[in-house]
Amino acid sequence: MVGIVILAILAISASVGVVTARQPVHSALYLVGNILSLALLYLMLKAEFLAAAQVIVYAGAIMVLFLFVVTLLTAGKEERELPEDLPGQRIVAGILSVIVGGVFVALAIKYPGPTLKAPLPSHFGDLTGIGRLLWGPDFIYLVAIAIMLVSAALGVLVLNPPRKRRQQEAEAREQRAESKASPETTRKEREGTGS
Amino acid sequence: MIYTNWVVALAGIIFAIGAIGVMFRRNPLIMFMASEMMWNAAALAFIAFARQYHDMNGQVMAFLIIATAASEVGIGLAIIVSVYHKRHRLDVDEISRLKG
Repeated sequence: MVGIVILAILAISASVGVVTARQPVHSALYLVGNILSLALLYLMLKAEFLAAAQVIVYAGAIMVLFLFVVTLLTAGKEERELPEDLPGQRIVAGILSVIVGGVFVALAIKYPGPTLKAPLPSHFGDLTGIGRLLWGPDFIYLVAIAIMLVSAALGVLVLNPPRKRRQQEAEAREQRAESKASPETTRKEREGTGS
Repeated sequence: MIYTNWVVALAGIIFAIGAIGVMFRRNPLIMFMASEMMWNAAALAFIAFARQYHDMNGQVMAFLIIATAASEVGIGLAIIVSVYHKRHRLDVDEISRLKG
């Protein structure tokens, strides 16, 4: 009980830190804190494998990627945020989000639901249990995850092509623009240079 | 005594804070981190309900959420980096005009 309350307070304060930090690096570090406290919560909710996966995938892989991009793009820069195009949008958004969160809390206090003390079946939440599901009835999810990860990697390669191919594409675009702008002259020029 | 819906309410609070972050901030990196928090809140709700109903399928869904978040971060950061190479500013309103 006390442990879960402490973890909840940690998770909420870290997530407030993510939203309010001025520098992206600080909010990335707050996000690490949020992720680690959520991983401990998973452990207390008897999801051992997911706690390990959360630490490895989120705190390990995703946050390192975030930190790389943050240090690549915002190193030594102090950028002021521009004035809002849509006046009043932030106030309305804040009020709506606070209402949503407050409704969740009020409903949880009014209808607490059953306690989490009932005995569990064996292999609940460990590697054996989740492996039996993923390689048994839920095998389609495993295949879907594999296809999704491979297509995401291909998508990243398409979005950020290597420098050589990017230069070739830019040259091809320029040539196309020139021939579209004045097809006859360029053809004449080419013939002239050819002969 | 821990009740199921208290954990779900915690997930709701984190989701709301993430939504505030996405709507308030203009830096695409911070908006992206706030959306990661929203993914995490959804996974927490799935795990709490899996614990309540003694059904591992909720945990399989949380596993699916973690894998989806990983691939989404890859593609999203690639988009942010390529937009930054064209515009040299980190602001979502730079992307509002769909011209290369």
